[in-house]
Amino acid sequence: MHTLPQQLANGLFIGSMYGLIAIGYTMVYGIVQLINFAHGEIYMTGAFGALAVYTNLPDSMSIWAALPLMLAGGAIVSVLIAVGAERLAYRPLRGAPRLAPLITAIGLSLALQQVVFLWYPNATAGKHFPQLPGGPYHVGDVDIQSGDIFLVVAAVVCMAALAAFVRTSRTGRAMQATAQDPDTAQLMGIDTNRIIVIAFAIGGFFAAVAGLASGLKYGQIKYDMGFQAGLKAFTAAVLGGIGNIYGAMLGGLVLGVAESCASAYISNIPGMEQLGGEGWKNVWAFVLLILVLLARPQGLLGERVADRA
Amino acid sequence: MTDIPLATAEAVLAPDTGRRTAPFIPLPRNAARAATLAGAVVTIASTFMSWTYTTDFPGDLTVSGYPGGLQVMTLIGAIITGVVALGAFRLKGAAWLNPSRSNNSVLLLALATLGTTWYTVIDIAAKLGGIANLDPGGFVAAVGSLLLFAGALALPIDRRPQEPADAEYYELGRFEKSALVVRSYVWLREARLHHADMRVADARKLNPWLQRLVIVVVYALGLKILTFGLATDYSDIFLGYLIVVAVGLWGLGAGGLLRQFQQLTHRNKRFAATVGIIAAAAYPFAQNNEHWANLGVSVLIVGTVALGLNIVVGLTGLLDLGYVAFLGVGAYAAALVSGSQFSIWSGVQFPFWAAAITGMAAACVFGVLIGAPTLRLRGDYLAIVTLGFGEIFRIVVRNLDGVSGPKVTNGPNGIAQIPDLSIFGYNLGANHDIGSFTLGRFANYYLLMLVITMIVVLVFTRAADSRIGRSWIAIREDETAATAMGINGFRVKLVAFALGASLAGLAGTVFAHVTNSVVPDPYQFSGPVPPNSAFLLAAVVLGGMGTVSGPIVGAALLYVIPEKLDFLSKYELFAFGLALILIMRFRPEGIIPNRRRQLEFHEDETTAPGKRPLGDDTVPAATAGA
Amino acid sequence: MTTTIPQQPTPEQAPDGAPLLQASGVIMRFGGLTAVRDVDLTVNTGEIVGLIGPNGAGKTTFFNCLTGLYVPTEGTVSYRGTVLPPKPHLVTKAGIARTFQNIRLFANMTVLENVLVGRHTRTREGLMSALIRGPGYHRAEARSRARAMELLEFTGLAAKADHLARNLPYGEQRKLEIARALASEPGLLLLDEPTAGMNPQETRATEELVFAVRDQGIAVLVIEHDMRFIFNLCDRVAVLVQGEKLVEGSSEVVQQDERVIAAYLGEPFEAAPAEGQQTTGEQENDR
Repeated sequence: MHTLPQQLANGLFIGSMYGLIAIGYTMVYGIVQLINFAHGEIYMTGAFGALAVYTNLPDSMSIWAALPLMLAGGAIVSVLIAVGAERLAYRPLRGAPRLAPLITAIGLSLALQQVVFLWYPNATAGKHFPQLPGGPYHVGDVDIQSGDIFLVVAAVVCMAALAAFVRTSRTGRAMQATAQDPDTAQLMGIDTNRIIVIAFAIGGFFAAVAGLASGLKYGQIKYDMGFQAGLKAFTAAVLGGIGNIYGAMLGGLVLGVAESCASAYISNIPGMEQLGGEGWKNVWAFVLLILVLLARPQGLLGERVADRA
Repeated sequence: MTDIPLATAEAVLAPDTGRRTAPFIPLPRNAARAATLAGAVVTIASTFMSWTYTTDFPGDLTVSGYPGGLQVMTLIGAIITGVVALGAFRLKGAAWLNPSRSNNSVLLLALATLGTTWYTVIDIAAKLGGIANLDPGGFVAAVGSLLLFAGALALPIDRRPQEPADAEYYELGRFEKSALVVRSYVWLREARLHHADMRVADARKLNPWLQRLVIVVVYALGLKILTFGLATDYSDIFLGYLIVVAVGLWGLGAGGLLRQFQQLTHRNKRFAATVGIIAAAAYPFAQNNEHWANLGVSVLIVGTVALGLNIVVGLTGLLDLGYVAFLGVGAYAAALVSGSQFSIWSGVQFPFWAAAITGMAAACVFGVLIGAPTLRLRGDYLAIVTLGFGEIFRIVVRNLDGVSGPKVTNGPNGIAQIPDLSIFGYNLGANHDIGSFTLGRFANYYLLMLVITMIVVLVFTRAADSRIGRSWIAIREDETAATAMGINGFRVKLVAFALGASLAGLAGTVFAHVTNSVVPDPYQFSGPVPPNSAFLLAAVVLGGMGTVSGPIVGAALLYVIPEKLDFLSKYELFAFGLALILIMRFRPEGIIPNRRRQLEFHEDETTAPGKRPLGDDTVPAATAGA
Repeated sequence: MTTTIPQQPTPEQAPDGAPLLQASGVIMRFGGLTAVRDVDLTVNTGEIVGLIGPNGAGKTTFFNCLTGLYVPTEGTVSYRGTVLPPKPHLVTKAGIARTFQNIRLFANMTVLENVLVGRHTRTREGLMSALIRGPGYHRAEARSRARAMELLEFTGLAAKADHLARNLPYGEQRKLEIARALASEPGLLLLDEPTAGMNPQETRATEELVFAVRDQGIAVLVIEHDMRFIFNLCDRVAVLVQGEKLVEGSSEVVQQDERVIAAYLGEPFEAAPAEGQQTTGEQENDR
């Protein structure tokens, strides 16, 4: 079904996933100006963590009962890796020239990917992931899978919780302060190191949620799923305004919808018949990125990056 | 700070602010020296014994009186360690291998010998299933190398000047209580296993003809060592060889030998460069083997591309993660005009120079297309955009097969049957006999690529040591200050980016012809087969950002080592990633340190400015590295 | 420690005393915070003008507006009658050079290279010229190096031309910044706290250097906290408090202005004994 509402719905679903992952990128970048290349792998390991929990649970357990445990499992893995990366790989390079932590992040991303690859030797084909029963549900013209419902619900809940946390809690305000001006925040007594760890942890947790959702949606996970998703998610973060958590989610949704519509409708444009469909989806996402950078480089909702000039 | 570590730490440190630490193993001086020399002798002797009774182990280690395979590694290691030790003990005439008379050199070389010997012994036991498979010779070797190393540990080591005595040993946390840990920690912190500020006799005082002779000998030796390594049939032997060469070079560097060699090459720049080129050109003649020539071409191609990336990343500090796409653009452009029947322009066959220009121009265009919107923005965006471009390139090229897209690149099958180049009538695809040597196809392409590499090196050095090169480095150091000095950041960055892309395109032209076909698969961010963007980045970083020889050395190492150590192939990418992390943490300047770091330590060696003309004798601004 | 002042062509200048830099109505707002409120400032050729004010008064922000690092929310800045484009490199090209409050040298380049980079805007040789290395290139390089060495001698750093900038002692790093700024042949030099962290001798030497710079025909606008330095040096002083220009005039006038005293020393309260002079306080980035 290639009706517009279906395409929009598909776009929103995949977009929420991009958004969840993008939040991790954007929070970290906003505070320490680091593109955490390993974040895509954190998303991937979250999914594998959830799967590992699932395979070790008794068969009799229903997927619904297992779900919280899977989430916990994935979250533990993701958060540990995220926080560990910050502590061991990035923090020692805090004062170094900018290339150093970036290259470290790339190395970390490669290493993590390979660790999972070596751990699960058959992961090239994709490992089977359980899916939620029920569905697809029909709402008007649109088909919705149960995995999609989980995804949207999770995204909304996470976003709301994060917004509330950042706005009302003390730590949340401290995060805002650190994001705006880390030196002054330190002078005000905020432990910026702790704040940075929390940012990584939240990002990791969201990535784990996204990983679990991805597995539930597609029914399989692969060791290299992090690379593509990470690239898209950072694009989403830039689209929405780097450093801006609302921008991250918005950027994700916009990217998802744009991708979805492009793959469905570009071929209807005369002269571009061959440029539609799945094969060109990523290309159009990239083109969108370039266009946004040309037209509105600060993103849809504006950047929120610490001024380190 | 508990009392135990404090007392131990103080006891370990030399009482005066002298330049040497107390030795790690406290022994009287003569005992230490005797142990070292005895260890060397024993180890040398052991290589003439047989280490195992069966020839199942690679290399023939069963023969007495004739060292074979890995025994040769141990032998060489032990001999060099012995001579270096004699130099450190101030024996007249032995100091030429250890000009700084440093015990650090002895220790490192002993480590090299120990490493390769014990690796061999353990490998024998592991491969053949048990220690029983070792002949007495193997045990003698193990004991001898251990004695050698222990003796070296008992020698006082040169220490870093003016490090505070109260090193931050409290970082050790709960390991504070262990005296051994504290002492090791303090010793390591004190020991100056790097050597940039040591004093060595100035090699430039030698007779000029002797200097040149040394350069020739060293290059010839280097070529021999290199081809020996390549010739090893077994990965075991290669690993032993690698240990000796790598740690050995480190050790010789600690002795000041590398420093002297650099002095010589710096003084005789043109001569050294010429000899170097001759040595490189001699490579295909040094071994009449197509496989190695193929290796040589690949290394040169990858090295040249890495050098191009070095301009973007190393000099200007722009993180380009999709660089391999420019190689691809050049390759495809060249393929399209090569006359191959799979090309959509199969009627067209450009001569090489035209194809090269086409490749460069195409890559340059794409470089500008990508760079123009992105280089105005914050630097990190370039990383993402180039990463995306790298991915998109492969997808687009794969789709342009007439079915999923307009027919340009023949899709996943790529453009095959690219004819060999013919330059001035010399067909690179055919064998040519020169004297008693046969130059095969790969050897021909190797020589062509060598010329191109030289051109790229020339471009790099000239660009780096000039107004534009300085502006690149300024941008890398501090962009705000650079723009305040009147540098148009955007334009300067675009030039760097476009130049880097063009050079990659040039290499791509040759790449297309060497591999006879161009397919989309290699052009990804990371993958098992070089070249890919992660590999190129690692080559630049590992080799030394901003230096001339660094990326080439880095590319060579990263290409050859996985080839030879094929039992590691599963872990190759993991090792890559890990290597990137570790290098950034512990040695971000890479293997070949940028010259300016050496300048840091030249304060006491700088001649008065009046004597030093501001001409070509001044250390050039950015011509770093060998 | 200035040595002989080398002979060199003075930059083309308007007749002495004519306005060189004119900032009118400059307002700089960051969201809700107004850092610079409606400041007018003129610097004439041959003048040394001081800009003082408590920390956080907006002095560095104002500098950044002058040099194009920030685009003023309102107001214009013109140099020699032309409105300046809001791009730092074009401002430098027009003839304004600056130093920074926190030293921003190119740490891993040598002293000579730092100054050579300063010459960038007055030279033209691009990539092609560098690759081909014709006679024009060599001439230009030799000229640049000669000029750079002149400037190094002028600031007393010639002996350390090949040292890495990061290895210089603090005082010499400051001098290098000035030498580097002078390399772009400016008509106006902006100095941001040039004597911060210096002892009295070094401060004295900096004073002499600034006088020497002025004698070369370059006007100077300097931000400082060291009052003696300012009043010795400057023909005119402007006082910025909370983003507004409070007072402007000769040293005596400013020194005795009540509002200035109040701004620096605070309103006296009954029990306070007579205060000595104010300490300079922490180095906060003006915003």
